[in-house]
Amino acid sequence: MTAEPILEVANAVKSFDGLTAVAGASFTVEKGSITALIGPNGAGKTTMFDLLSGFAKPDSGAIRFAGQPITGKAPHRIARLGLVRTFQLTRVLAGMSVIDNMLLAAPRQPGQHLYSLLTAPRHANAAEDKARDAALSLLETFGLRSKAADYAGALSGGQRKLLEIARALMTEPSMVLLDEPMAGVNPTLGHTILDHIASLRQSNGTSFLFVEHDMDVVMNRADRIVVMAQGRVISMGTPEQIRADAAVIEAYLGGPAPEAKP
Amino acid sequence: MSVDFWINVGVLAGIYGIFTLGLQLNAGFTGLLNFGQAGFMAIGAYSIGILVVDHGWSLWLALPAAVLLACLASVVVGISSLRLRSDHFAIATIAFAEIVRYTLQNAAFSGGNQGILGFDDEWRAASGWMLSKLGAFGLGGYTQLPLLLVVWLSFVALLLALQGLQRTGWGRVLRAIREDEDATAALGKNVLSYKLQSLGLAAALAAIAGFFVALNVTYLYPTVFDPTFTFFGYAILVLGGFASYGGVAIGSLVFWALLEGTRLIDASLSAGQQASLRFIIVGLFLLLLSRLRPQGLLGNVNEMKVRP
Amino acid sequence: MSATPTVRASAAEDDASAVRSRLASPSRLTVLVAVMAVVFCLLAALFGLVPTAQATINGFVAGSYTGLGAIGLTLVLGILKLVNFAHGDLLVAGAYFTILFAWLGLPLPLAMLGAMVATAALALVTEKIVWQPLRQAKAGTLQLFLSAIGLGLVIRFSVQFFAGSQVRTLGANVVDSIALGPLRLGTLQAVALLVGLAAMLLVGLALRFTGIGKEMRAFADNRALAEVSGIDTQHVINMTWIVSGFLAGLAGILYATAIGSFNPNFGLTLLLSLFAATVLGGIGNAYGALVGGLVIGLSQEWSTLMFNARWKPAVGFALLILMLLFMPQGIFGRKKRGS
Ligand SMILES: Nc1ncnc2c1ncn2[C@@H]1O[C@H](COP(=O)(O)OP(=O)(O)O)[C@@H](O)[C@H]1O
Ligand SMILES: [Mg+2]
Repeated sequence: MTAEPILEVANAVKSFDGLTAVAGASFTVEKGSITALIGPNGAGKTTMFDLLSGFAKPDSGAIRFAGQPITGKAPHRIARLGLVRTFQLTRVLAGMSVIDNMLLAAPRQPGQHLYSLLTAPRHANAAEDKARDAALSLLETFGLRSKAADYAGALSGGQRKLLEIARALMTEPSMVLLDEPMAGVNPTLGHTILDHIASLRQSNGTSFLFVEHDMDVVMNRADRIVVMAQGRVISMGTPEQIRADAAVIEAYLGGPAPEAKP
Repeated sequence: MSVDFWINVGVLAGIYGIFTLGLQLNAGFTGLLNFGQAGFMAIGAYSIGILVVDHGWSLWLALPAAVLLACLASVVVGISSLRLRSDHFAIATIAFAEIVRYTLQNAAFSGGNQGILGFDDEWRAASGWMLSKLGAFGLGGYTQLPLLLVVWLSFVALLLALQGLQRTGWGRVLRAIREDEDATAALGKNVLSYKLQSLGLAAALAAIAGFFVALNVTYLYPTVFDPTFTFFGYAILVLGGFASYGGVAIGSLVFWALLEGTRLIDASLSAGQQASLRFIIVGLFLLLLSRLRPQGLLGNVNEMKVRP
Repeated sequence: MSATPTVRASAAEDDASAVRSRLASPSRLTVLVAVMAVVFCLLAALFGLVPTAQATINGFVAGSYTGLGAIGLTLVLGILKLVNFAHGDLLVAGAYFTILFAWLGLPLPLAMLGAMVATAALALVTEKIVWQPLRQAKAGTLQLFLSAIGLGLVIRFSVQFFAGSQVRTLGANVVDSIALGPLRLGTLQAVALLVGLAAMLLVGLALRFTGIGKEMRAFADNRALAEVSGIDTQHVINMTWIVSGFLAGLAGILYATAIGSFNPNFGLTLLLSLFAATVLGGIGNAYGALVGGLVIGLSQEWSTLMFNARWKPAVGFALLILMLLFMPQGIFGRKKRGS
């Protein structure tokens, strides 16, 4: 079975002030897969997410999503194509209620545009009511239903993380980029998130690319793994292949892999 | 205290209420530190004066044209400087307002410091007609009463319309931009477009306020639109409350009652000192309120965040 | 074992990049000087050498008060992250303190010195009653902006309350002038020019060689780093206000001397030129502010060769907006971390 790719990155380069954060990285993500992006701190994973989501422009290289080039496109255009990200440092809209955080993310809302608001206010209301139902059921899944009316700023760190993921899913994405979704979340909740991701992939065919440091989680949950070190992709494959890859072991242990020793 | 005094306070409170609704939309609900509102007001008022006096337009046609021109100016200002960091944007908008004032003072088309006169005949006719009707209630003697009524009708209508807008999905996107524009863009919202809409509406409100200022002073000259007046608007904003349109109405009334009240202080002061004192009071307002009650009288402390 | 060489390598890289950036500044300065020289030659060819030279001298006068005024603005911005909209009014205070002290009977030079000290004291007072409490209350951007604007209004209109809004002079002879060949320079302008350039040199040396000067620059450059290296934060902040106020006083006096007549409203218009100099030089960069001030002053005076002199301030505004749009990190600036 040759899976078709949803995301293709070819030779992406990004440097800041002489420091090269992403140094010619290439990889693909298969449609409908759960792929883990791993690598030591400073490997360039977050910068890669910035490039994919349009928050940074690559110095060179090409990125294609669902068959079309998205290199250097504005963040909101990429998001509208169905590629949505979360941030490593959670970014909830603290001065808005939890439900407003969710409703903001709803796609195709006539109520969000002055013109359609004035010409078809009824239509706007109907669309918002539908979005509200969808939002409440997502909040239910993530255990945030009872907090719907609270200010997002009043949530705990773990709850904010959940809200950010739920909000990203609210956009009805075809692919989600999750930057360390489990960091700061208690393990039980973390597994709930992962279960939900797995079931969404099952039901909607949504693809996921997530950054994670816990190797158990990565090995058990990911279909495929992309390994970055020093701005490059040093390995790609199934968990079994990665486990056996000498280059990966070297990158993690900072020395030559035991097997490679003469 | 005479009735005319209070009518005057009401007129000023209404005009600056409309002016400050725009600042509330920008600073309170979008997180945009627009410090050039007086510049948009000047563009609105002078457009009316020039269209009516130099080009023979009707005052009532000149008003929508002026609103459009102010919006156009806001698009130029916005497209060039909305990408800047918020503090740089604030500085750029002050510079814009200074450029407007400076141009009006020095250019030929604006009459320079001589100003523009004689654009309000149609308003005076309308006002006279209203006074004759008001005469039936024994109110025919208050010459500024028609202006008060029109200003406050407009103010209340605009306030309610903005409150309604704020409850829609559109208003929600603006608040999201205030909270975190990157997160908002990451969810597929075109942040620049929404900021331009916010700024454009504020400029339109400023132009309407400028129209009423023109009717009130009957004579357009540059110092009426000094960039400092934007800060009057911000004083009203912090007094009434952050992220609250109702607060603008309360804030504007309290502000102008206090400010005009200084005229009643025992008159051992010269006219110049009176004027200086008013500005000192505005300054103290800003200092004390931002220190003691940054969210204002009716403001919402949870929404009181404008990040750099 | 294997980690050590990497660390050393990256330290060497850091050194190399530091050297490169140190080299980058002078080379950009050279480019800037070259550009200004080319503009000068062009103007001289178009409008004649004598008028151009005259405008250039005037430009140095304007540049000296703009540069000295901008130092305080840029240090406060760099060190306290505060956009001090009241800074222009500190310049106004400097000019009017001079009038006050002269009226009290001090000879003019002493009155000026007193005025600088008084302006420094005023700046320190604002730190104690406005800025320190706001910092402790973790005030947001809007709060800080509005406080700065409020403070500016209080200072400017207190001056106006006591001194009136009529046009004033510092009471020195404004008619005398010195002839330098075909060029004319008002005696007062000459004094302003000499004092201004001398002060710029002194400030530059003080920032480079005194302990507090180094600390202030370190702070403006990277506050977090400066704090961990054990610098006394509040002391640096106090000194920043004192220096900022003193130089603002000096700049206000130079402005008043060079322009001749003024009223209490000159602060806001001048403030925009100071912002332009600050942005031009890179925020937090005191030397940059001096250079930026000279560029602004020269541009404004050179513009009088082409346009009516009344559009001079507009040149400052235009430069400010162009800088913000196209070079927000300034001519010497590096892009800061974080997008
Ligand atoms: N905006 C930036 N400016 C300068 N350097 C940056 C910036 N963003 C990231 N870097 C640098 O790029 C490298 C990669 O960082 P990052 O992508 O955050 O790695 P990771 O997410 O894999 O830990 C790091 O050395 C980091 O310091
Ligand atoms: Mg990271």
